[in-house]
Amino acid sequence: MTMADSQCLGVEECATGSASVFFGPQDFGEFHWQSQWHTRSKNMVSATPDFSNQKLSTNSLQTMSKFKIVITLLMLSLFQPVVARTADDETGTAFFEKKIRPLLIKHCYECHSEEAEERQGGLLLDRRSGWIEGGDTTKSVIPGEPDASLLIKAVKYQDENLQMPPDEKLKPEQIKLLEQWVRLGAPGPKDDLGDSEFSRLGDQEFLFNQAESHWAFQSVNAGTPPKADHQRWNQNAIDQFVVAKLSENKLTPSMGAEPRTLIRRLTYDLTGLPPSMDDVEQFVAVAEQDRRAATIKTIDRLIDSKTFGEHLGRMWLDVARYADTDSAYRPDTRTPHYFPFAFTYRDYVVDSLNKDKPFDDFVREQFAADLIGFKPGDAEMAALGFLAAGPFANRDPLESLDDLIDVTTRGLLGITVACARCHDHKYEPVPTKDYYSLRGVFASVVRVDSLDEKKQPLVPGYEPSAADLADYEKKRAAIEAKVAKAGSSKAKNNNQSISQKIRETELAELLLFHPGAPARAMRVIDRPRPLEPVVFIRGDAGSPGDTVPRRFLKIIDADQTSFPDDSSGRLQLAERIVDPKNPLTARVFVNRVWGYLMGTYIVDTPSDFGLQGSTPTHPKLLDWLADDFVKHGWSIKHLVRTIVSSQTYQQRSDYREEAARIDSQNKLLWRGNLKHLSIEAIRDSLLSVSRQLDPTPRGHAGQLWEDGYTRRRAIYGYINRFNLDPTLRAFDFPTPVQSQPKRGESIVAPQTLFTMNAPFVIDQTVAITETSEFRDCGTDDERVATLFALIFQRAPAALETERILKFVELQSRFKTPIDLKRRASTWPLVAQSLMMSNEFQYID
Amino acid sequence: MTLQTENNRLAGWSRRQLLESSGLGLGSLALSGLLADAGQVVAAPTRREKSVSPLIASAPHHPPKAKRIIHLFMNGGPSQFDTFYPKPEVQKLSGKPLPKSISDQLQQTQRKRVGVLFGSPFKFRKYGECGQPVSELFPNVAQHVDDLCIVRSMQGEIANHTPGLLLTNCGHSTLPRPSLGSWMLYGLGNESDELPGFVVLCPKGLPTAQTTNWTSAFLPGIYQGTHIDTETTGKELIPNLTRNDIRTGSQRAQVALTQFLNRRHQNLRPGDERLDSRIHTMELAFRMQTAGTDAFDLEQEPQHIREAYGDSVQGRNMLIARRLSERGVRYVQVYHGAGQPWDNHGSIVPRIKQLCQESDQPIAALLSDLKQRGMLEDTLLIWGGEMGRTPTTQSGSKDVNKVGRDHHIDGYTMWMAGGGIRPGMTYGTTDEFGMKVAENKVELHDLHATILHLMGFDHRRLTYRYSGRDFRLTDVHGRVVNEILA
Repeated sequence: MTMADSQCLGVEECATGSASVFFGPQDFGEFHWQSQWHTRSKNMVSATPDFSNQKLSTNSLQTMSKFKIVITLLMLSLFQPVVARTADDETGTAFFEKKIRPLLIKHCYECHSEEAEERQGGLLLDRRSGWIEGGDTTKSVIPGEPDASLLIKAVKYQDENLQMPPDEKLKPEQIKLLEQWVRLGAPGPKDDLGDSEFSRLGDQEFLFNQAESHWAFQSVNAGTPPKADHQRWNQNAIDQFVVAKLSENKLTPSMGAEPRTLIRRLTYDLTGLPPSMDDVEQFVAVAEQDRRAATIKTIDRLIDSKTFGEHLGRMWLDVARYADTDSAYRPDTRTPHYFPFAFTYRDYVVDSLNKDKPFDDFVREQFAADLIGFKPGDAEMAALGFLAAGPFANRDPLESLDDLIDVTTRGLLGITVACARCHDHKYEPVPTKDYYSLRGVFASVVRVDSLDEKKQPLVPGYEPSAADLADYEKKRAAIEAKVAKAGSSKAKNNNQSISQKIRETELAELLLFHPGAPARAMRVIDRPRPLEPVVFIRGDAGSPGDTVPRRFLKIIDADQTSFPDDSSGRLQLAERIVDPKNPLTARVFVNRVWGYLMGTYIVDTPSDFGLQGSTPTHPKLLDWLADDFVKHGWSIKHLVRTIVSSQTYQQRSDYREEAARIDSQNKLLWRGNLKHLSIEAIRDSLLSVSRQLDPTPRGHAGQLWEDGYTRRRAIYGYINRFNLDPTLRAFDFPTPVQSQPKRGESIVAPQTLFTMNAPFVIDQTVAITETSEFRDCGTDDERVATLFALIFQRAPAALETERILKFVELQSRFKTPIDLKRRASTWPLVAQSLMMSNEFQYID
Repeated sequence: MTLQTENNRLAGWSRRQLLESSGLGLGSLALSGLLADAGQVVAAPTRREKSVSPLIASAPHHPPKAKRIIHLFMNGGPSQFDTFYPKPEVQKLSGKPLPKSISDQLQQTQRKRVGVLFGSPFKFRKYGECGQPVSELFPNVAQHVDDLCIVRSMQGEIANHTPGLLLTNCGHSTLPRPSLGSWMLYGLGNESDELPGFVVLCPKGLPTAQTTNWTSAFLPGIYQGTHIDTETTGKELIPNLTRNDIRTGSQRAQVALTQFLNRRHQNLRPGDERLDSRIHTMELAFRMQTAGTDAFDLEQEPQHIREAYGDSVQGRNMLIARRLSERGVRYVQVYHGAGQPWDNHGSIVPRIKQLCQESDQPIAALLSDLKQRGMLEDTLLIWGGEMGRTPTTQSGSKDVNKVGRDHHIDGYTMWMAGGGIRPGMTYGTTDEFGMKVAENKVELHDLHATILHLMGFDHRRLTYRYSGRDFRLTDVHGRVVNEILA
């Protein structure tokens, strides 16, 4: 690949988001146009299309075949004598629009059209006058004379200094088409873009038209799963759909994973923790008798354990951009604006999943717990943290409302409504009015000050120990005394209230971290009278436009019934989101859960199901899952159980070269995916295998790594939205300023440095050698076996033991004081070697 | 297998394998240099490679003029009238109020705070062949004036620190957007195997707006800047860089043991480049431990160099900046100090004198040093703040040692040098009182477009798809200021 190629647009990105729109069979194939709005290029990293890119490959195939037909016709016409004349207007322009414009749009308009931000060489190729008059240099087209026309020279790369398009030479047949056009007299529209597809960017009528046939906007169609040949693959609809797709592509599924692998996979995927060696041995023994029964039993046990919600809950918290602080800080103290009670929302999420709260109720409560009968003092009030604990303070109201619209529409509906703030959406059926309709809902809601203890009701179920409570009260009294003493005095350097400063720092920190502090619900309250939203022209609050009612999105609710006048409409919004007829909500959620468990998504853009989103790899399976989910009362546990009970999920993850040749990315699921653990699972596993994990659920946040770190699960760790912890960052934990669709897996040195040098990790390497299992070992061989059992839940191979004993022997020669320190002595180093390894961080 | 043999194994690898397996960008300058020597061009990584190894080196859109940036951030907003932009009319009417025609245009809030015109008490003199004037506050920097391109027509958006810092660093005054340095890493990958590619030096804590100044926002977190407090130590360069309770030999043996386990694990799981990538990342991490501390060990510099920079916080700042640049750090941002030291609302005369005194010699030393090493030609040096200051005093005291200047965003001054910038020129003017840009306005988006251009990018095409649309540093704005290019 050359330097020039690196400019080429990320072809693969088309699948996830570029504007590739099919304009119907009458057109000259379809073509890809790019945003003329914000930018016209996609992510700059280029890639070769791969199998995963179904939309692209199918479309390209169609393009190619049509291309061939058209080209053949053209080749025929080339043999006919052509007079240098301007084709009569109608046919000439039609020829231009059908055959030439698509080429120009794709390859030339980025720089040579009225829409181009910086016209290159002064040349316009979107009107006849443009190419006839030419650019700065000279006339670019001489009608009837392709050989004399600069444009033809440029596309033929005849002149070293003038090669167009610069990225890549056009295909020979495309060049011939252009020559043909010039020979015809270069017909085209005179002065404007005309009613071409190109001018349809942001044309909502057109986009709504497109949306009519877009898969994600169709009703969910359960369909009957196709029958598989193999009995074992015929018991779960997932398997039937997957096998059918595999067969279509001449692929076969893999065998079931070995029991040892399966129990580790299940335990991690369902709880985020490793199994114990006992769990493994027991499972292996029972599975030998009846694998199916053993698996079902284990799945039930894991799904019903309290750790289930602590793991899957994190998936939702990524979507809900959860954090314990605001995105802003106090400049004088350099401390973030704390959200001392956000944690009750986090606990609400975990509890809801553990209780298997139906997903529709889960959504209703997060939008409108206070409007569906819950009162201050009810645990469900904490659900409102979904709205109240979002980023807020350093944004003007416009921005924080934007966040609420964004988290609602991308998070729950997989549609990017926030793009429609300044204008109608350029690529999705979302008129700007829809944005302001939703804005009206959220603008009619007030967030309670995160430090206001009067307006944030207590949440039941938190009972601190007497000692914690006493300690908290003592500390609180001391702070209150300081506040009282400060009175109304102002700081000298910045003239700000000192008592307020103490409240926002010392008091807020006490409330946030102290286990004896109260648990309250961050909540929102409807304004006495809802606001009537007004469209801001170009997003500018200074240019109010039409008034719009508060109501739901037009693409889903065609009638757009207005929300009632006596409330914000939060509840109505939630109801429309979880309406079983809404084609998006269930699909979006099941896809999230699927990806979380399987490692790859059915729709690779989990927060974008719109025209720009990825095409599903298994559309029928997605629909079946969505339908089954709703039919089973929106039960998340049912959904999870259905997925992990499938043979598809339970396959071996072994590489099969012949299958990889067809589907290298395993998009069609011919094997299980090798999955990297999240930073939370890595942290929890380190604590777990060294017997340090404190299983206490719920409660105030603790520090993750700093001195005095909590030994509780990572989900209870403090998340600073303003200044995200660098270790979390290094491991792809999302910055919680916006809803996160999914996590990536990057591989960077700071991750390794963490396992090599972090005091937190080293503590656990010491702790594991202080467990009774390890201390009871009589020989080095036993010690190795015990560490393997604890850390990998398997026995070491002879070669591994041998290699480790060599290391132990080598270390014994380093008997100098520095290495005699407990932390750096031989066995903790061995344990750390295992914890640093890939085997510890990947699940098969 | 020891680390050594593992490294030897690398030697037999194909270029593609190297690129694929590099965790931190093995396919970086060193390698691209080698390959370029062999007549090869480094391949742009595929999206998959990039998603696994986000710091892998990548080729820009066009051959770059600058390979790295050192941005000297005079945070707080230095006064242009006392440093690089003499204004005879302000001198002449010093002590008098602004002419009514001009003060009428001010906003209500501004008008209330405006005092009288305040001619600089510092003398300006023309320097060098180009004859650009520099005030007596920068006698040493003035010796390099033939290398500087002084832009006198910078245009900000909101006259306050946080919006100014965010606009200057991230291209937007209010919204969370990725910083220039993050875009740079996203576009180019990391040149260094052993150091982070985007380092922020700030003595004594954090500048105003803190980490938002170097945020990666929606770009992957790995592109975020790494802040170092240059007053204390470089050890915090990277979290968990070293552990001091273990000898290197032991740790080396330990890493070798892990790698043994990793290779066994990998052999049983063919066809997954991530495992390979992790194995190599571990090697890199091990090497980073020494390299990471090395860059901050100024004892390694010869005496005369240390003397040239001076034994001071700013001297240390600039010298570390050079050592990092030399080691392949793409973007080094050097803040003068925590908070906003150049924010001279009061006592501007003694304060700016001190600020300039602190930084004049170190900046001049940096310019000479880069030049002597042949680094100035491909290092872009930028000097300036998030805004400038008013030609007038703020209302209040009449004591020349107590008066100060207010924030001013319409026509402030920055300068650039090296890396494809036209040396020895002045660009842009303001009106006679320095209230508004008169000619050749340069908005921050234009500055960004120009910087990206010098680094090899078309600012319109360096984009990242997020939340349903393509984002770029310059959003829908930006013009490459061709007039100031060499």
